[in-house]
Amino acid sequence: MKPAPILLSTAFLHPAGQALPEPLLALRKQRGAALVDMPMPTRKTENWKYSSKYLKLTDEMAISLPTEGKTGSALAVPGYKVVFINGVVVPEASEYPDLDNILIQRFGDLSDAEASELAERLDSTLDAKAVQFAGLNSARFEDGLIIRLKPGAVLDQPLFIIHEVTADASGSAFPRIFVDAGPNSQITLVEEYISSGQESVFVNSVTEFVLAEGANVTNIRLSMDGDTVQHIGATGVTQQRSSRFESHCVGFGGPLRRHDLRVRLEGKGAECKLNGVVVTQGTQHYDNHTTIEHVSPNCNSEETYRNIATDKSHVVFNGRIHIHPDAQKSYANMHNKNLLLSTGAEIDTKPELEIYADDVKCAHGATIGQLDEESLFYLISRGIGRREANVLLTLAFINELVAQIPVDAVKDTVQIRLNQFFDQVFLEG
Amino acid sequence: MLSIKNLHASVEDKEILKGINLDIKAGEVHAIMGPNGSGKSTLAQVLAGNDAFEVTSGSVTMNDEDLLEKATEERARDGVFLAFQYPVEIPGVSNLQFMRTSVNALRHHRGESEMNAAEFMKLAREVSKQVDLDPAFLKRGVNEGFSGGEKKRNEIMQALMLQPKLAILDETDSGLDIDALKVVSDGVNALRAEDRAILMVTHYQRLLDHIVPDFVHVLAEGKIVKSGGPELALELEERGYAWLGIKEDETAASSAN
Repeated sequence: MKPAPILLSTAFLHPAGQALPEPLLALRKQRGAALVDMPMPTRKTENWKYSSKYLKLTDEMAISLPTEGKTGSALAVPGYKVVFINGVVVPEASEYPDLDNILIQRFGDLSDAEASELAERLDSTLDAKAVQFAGLNSARFEDGLIIRLKPGAVLDQPLFIIHEVTADASGSAFPRIFVDAGPNSQITLVEEYISSGQESVFVNSVTEFVLAEGANVTNIRLSMDGDTVQHIGATGVTQQRSSRFESHCVGFGGPLRRHDLRVRLEGKGAECKLNGVVVTQGTQHYDNHTTIEHVSPNCNSEETYRNIATDKSHVVFNGRIHIHPDAQKSYANMHNKNLLLSTGAEIDTKPELEIYADDVKCAHGATIGQLDEESLFYLISRGIGRREANVLLTLAFINELVAQIPVDAVKDTVQIRLNQFFDQVFLEG
Repeated sequence: MLSIKNLHASVEDKEILKGINLDIKAGEVHAIMGPNGSGKSTLAQVLAGNDAFEVTSGSVTMNDEDLLEKATEERARDGVFLAFQYPVEIPGVSNLQFMRTSVNALRHHRGESEMNAAEFMKLAREVSKQVDLDPAFLKRGVNEGFSGGEKKRNEIMQALMLQPKLAILDETDSGLDIDALKVVSDGVNALRAEDRAILMVTHYQRLLDHIVPDFVHVLAEGKIVKSGGPELALELEERGYAWLGIKEDETAASSAN
């Protein structure tokens, strides 16, 4: 007899925060009801094969983290920003752009009519079966941000969204963002996930982008939660004709890190570029699952992920490209390179190509390697110290991707964090 | 300056160098010739400190200090420079960043202040012209997409930037057309100095038409079998190695050169 599956604890199905318009409360309830029989992933769950063992949710972590009186750490981010603490927007710490054609609202501030329209569209970019935990976010979000760009609206500088969790007690947070990018609009959105405190917490985030014809969206996702945070996040994207989506996901490891990025190229001539960098150490984990669906003809996708793992850490990359029968003249290119800095580290990579159209150009490649001894010898034979040579070569592995991040403040943050990593991993001498 | 005594070295338990004896004084240029597989490149790599080769016996001193005891990077800081036969490509590290880090590592070792970016750029531009490399290459990855000739010129450029005490040139002439050979030779001749020793490893005489050595040594099966002046190279060019009792083809087969 097959053992009964372990289900998601019902403790997780009690949302807090009732300050939402009725249509959104109804949506939450409906999504929650759908999760009553949700089995927890095991190693036999295909898309959690390598990561299920890192997911350790306890009932103590089911409670929503308190938001009252939390101000978070002072963040000196220049320009437009929205600060979420424990999944709830802190208006006094935020700085919204003052533009007529870009509306940024908290879910709680929506009229019933607006909320009802939003409820129709939430989750539309994510396949509930493939991304089970996105449904949990929909059942639990207490707040959220909807960003609406009217036709032709252009945000003149990046909008930073800082998601901080205060892990002073066990609990969870469910940050939610919905971006409605109208025709020919443009925005650069930076999501930065950070935490303070040392208790075990669970972050379950979802960000959705709906790109209308000709919209141009750049999303930078910086995953820098602390060592006690398990984070399951999802980003869903749908793209209409000639729209462009560019994503830069930079992640540092933790006890559990999972990010699902799903892009659907629904309109002719849409294109996306997905870059990813993951760095793990100690016993950390990071799992990126990406899916690009070429639904319409003449769409381009370009994906480059690079992972670095050291000590006994574990990185997973699963990149799937699905070319639908009508998607003739698709161009899809996916590359994943991996660098193991120690023998105890593990990287599992799996590119998946499913092609149902005959006139397409697709390429994929994955490599796993170590630092090149010959290159190392070349550098030190010029008087460069071993530590510095190791740093130069490791940086070289991801430099190209870091250099492409279009926001300098983010690049600086990444560089500082990388320097910490190098200080810990490559010792003097 | 450099004194090599009875040097034996192996790679993967196969003995390549079988008792090398060689003394090089400051200001001298020595050429080491020999068939493929004779151990020429091994000698160059061992002197530079490549861990892939194990020194099993013998000694090497430079300015009376034990060279073999020093780590690769320490040797470089003390003035050892190896121009590689096959310089590696390192995408992601720019030539500029690489050379500046290297120049500053040596300056730091000598107790000098680091060169700032502007000073360094000025120097790098000048030297790149000397070896006929477009300064634009400085922004590219180390040797990335370089032709064979460009790689060799880049090696000479680094030697000129680092001003070593001992420059070891491993087959720096191989793969060069006649114009590039001239540029590289001019670069090497510019390196000649009273306080600097140069050790050239080469398979062909033609480099020695441009850089006239003070001494020529013939290496065969891991030993120096004959030494002489520049005329020895000409004799080798005319008569091959056979008159010295060296079977070139057989030794070539064992090449780990």
